[in-house]
Amino acid sequence: MRLLEFDYFEPRNLEDAVTKVREFDGNYQIIAGGTDLLTALKQRLSAPAGLVSLDHISSLKDIWEEDDVITIGAMCTLEDVLSSSLIAEKLPALNQAAWDVGSPLLRPLATIGGNICLNTRCRFYNQSSFWRSSRDTCYKAGGNICHVTNKRDSCVATFSADIPPVLIAHGARVRLAGPKGVRTLPLEQFYTADGRFPHVIMAGSGEILQEIEVPLPAPQVSCVYHKFRMRESIDFPVLGVAVMLKLGEKKSGKYCEDACLVITGAEPAPVEAVQAREELLHRRLEPGLLARVAEIAASEIHPIKTSLISPRYKREIAKIIVTDALKKAGGIEE
Amino acid sequence: MEKTIRLTVNGEEKTLKIGVQQTLLEVLREDLGLTGTKKGCNQGECGACTVLLDGKPVSSCLLLAVKADGKTVLTIEGLAQAGELHPMQQAFNEKGAIQCGFCSPGMILVAKSLLERNPNPSTQEIKEAIAGNICRCTGYLQIIEAIRSFVS
Ligand SMILES: Cc1cc2nc3c(=O)[nH]c(=O)nc-3n(C[C@H](O)[C@H](O)[C@H](O)COP(=O)(O)OP(=O)(O)OC[C@H]3O[C@@H](n4cnc5c(N)ncnc54)[C@H](O)[C@@H]3O)c2cc1C
Ligand code: SF4
Repeated sequence: MRLLEFDYFEPRNLEDAVTKVREFDGNYQIIAGGTDLLTALKQRLSAPAGLVSLDHISSLKDIWEEDDVITIGAMCTLEDVLSSSLIAEKLPALNQAAWDVGSPLLRPLATIGGNICLNTRCRFYNQSSFWRSSRDTCYKAGGNICHVTNKRDSCVATFSADIPPVLIAHGARVRLAGPKGVRTLPLEQFYTADGRFPHVIMAGSGEILQEIEVPLPAPQVSCVYHKFRMRESIDFPVLGVAVMLKLGEKKSGKYCEDACLVITGAEPAPVEAVQAREELLHRRLEPGLLARVAEIAASEIHPIKTSLISPRYKREIAKIIVTDALKKAGGIEE
Repeated sequence: MEKTIRLTVNGEEKTLKIGVQQTLLEVLREDLGLTGTKKGCNQGECGACTVLLDGKPVSSCLLLAVKADGKTVLTIEGLAQAGELHPMQQAFNEKGAIQCGFCSPGMILVAKSLLERNPNPSTQEIKEAIAGNICRCTGYLQIIEAIRSFVS
């Protein structure tokens, strides 16, 4: 399938990019690496009049540390993330999550900004226009029926990006540049939990993701990302979990001072397992606790059948990957 | 909308007028006649369209040609020199790592770039490097053997 024609703009700075986006009045799409966007355009999931490329805005391509914050420009490719010694040393879970995205042929093109802004996915949506033409157009694609829930005006397509859980677990903030200026917000607030418009930019804020700010983790913090997918080589996550543990040491052994568990692949936004965190807090890390926490985390997600994988299976997988991630983050031997 | 881009393809500088909606794969195959780069799934899943962009393997079906402006592209046609196959192509021949041949251009380019970055890859690293390239004939073992034949 070839791409339809569009206009193409390559602004040299962020202000010009924001102005261009405003001129298009909604009928545009931002292109970063294009690895997700091009697939969507080929499938005719959208047909924008123009693409605004961020390729030539050099200020979006740096990774640096200042005042205990690591800042990552939205246009850093996943290869850039993987080859950054700063990230390998200070944010190893981010390195792991970047490695887990797609295949080696995508990572030199795909950006971290594109991963954060990734659209949600559904087996009735991510298909060619020919495939989709055998049914009524679904709500996310502009129609008025959801083939998953049979409702007319809601979409439960699944959030499937690998990197955001790790960033949320680290308490990252995103800096957005838009018509009203620049603002930063905690990454979890960037997401809307609406499958059709999964984040504030897709919901029409007219903004551009500029950079991600990750507070430098305290020395006692250990964070891991664990992903389960059908084919280890290339697939989106069936489910992925980021586990951040801040560990303390008592006579009786390691205990949990603070924790954050974030799951991707389950709902239209990344899910924070808050009850699982409560269960962990101030407790000693022993196998019984980990199994209990994994059970609770699995009960906190509400997967919907937007892929060929059943919600029940996802819950079982959640128990396994949460337990494994907790063991790894807690430094607990098998 | 049209745009003029400059590409170095297999060592030759080209100035090309392209449609901005053209992928690098389309420009290589249709405008430059370099049909060694294959069009498989056209969705970034199969790796048949792999080329080396500034030395790194990428899926050319997911890259707008306009984004490659100013860059260097190596396709399978650029490997053989003066009628002599590249050693990696020879290794693929000798180890029976080719059957229908559709994945071979991508596999060979990925293998070449792996060895340039890491001259002594482990079998695991070889498998990770070719993870984005699907082969439906060989079962991968001969491909891995061909690449391993360069490892001391
Ligand atoms: C075969 C295949 C396998 C994949 N596997 C995975 C996987 O395992 N895990 C995973 O997470 N992803 C996967 N992906 C999806 C995608 O490749 C990655 O998520 C990638 O990081 C997206 O980045 P990009 O720069 O290519 O985004 P693009 O395609 O350029 O953009 C994606 C979306 O984000 C918007 N956007 C991008 N940058 C900005 C910005 N700075 N400001 C505002 N909006 C922006 C775009 O408008 C678009 O809507 C896969 C894709 C393919 C084709
Ligand atoms: S969840 Fe429903 S509305 Fe959303 S993409 Fe799937 S079928 Fe369409």
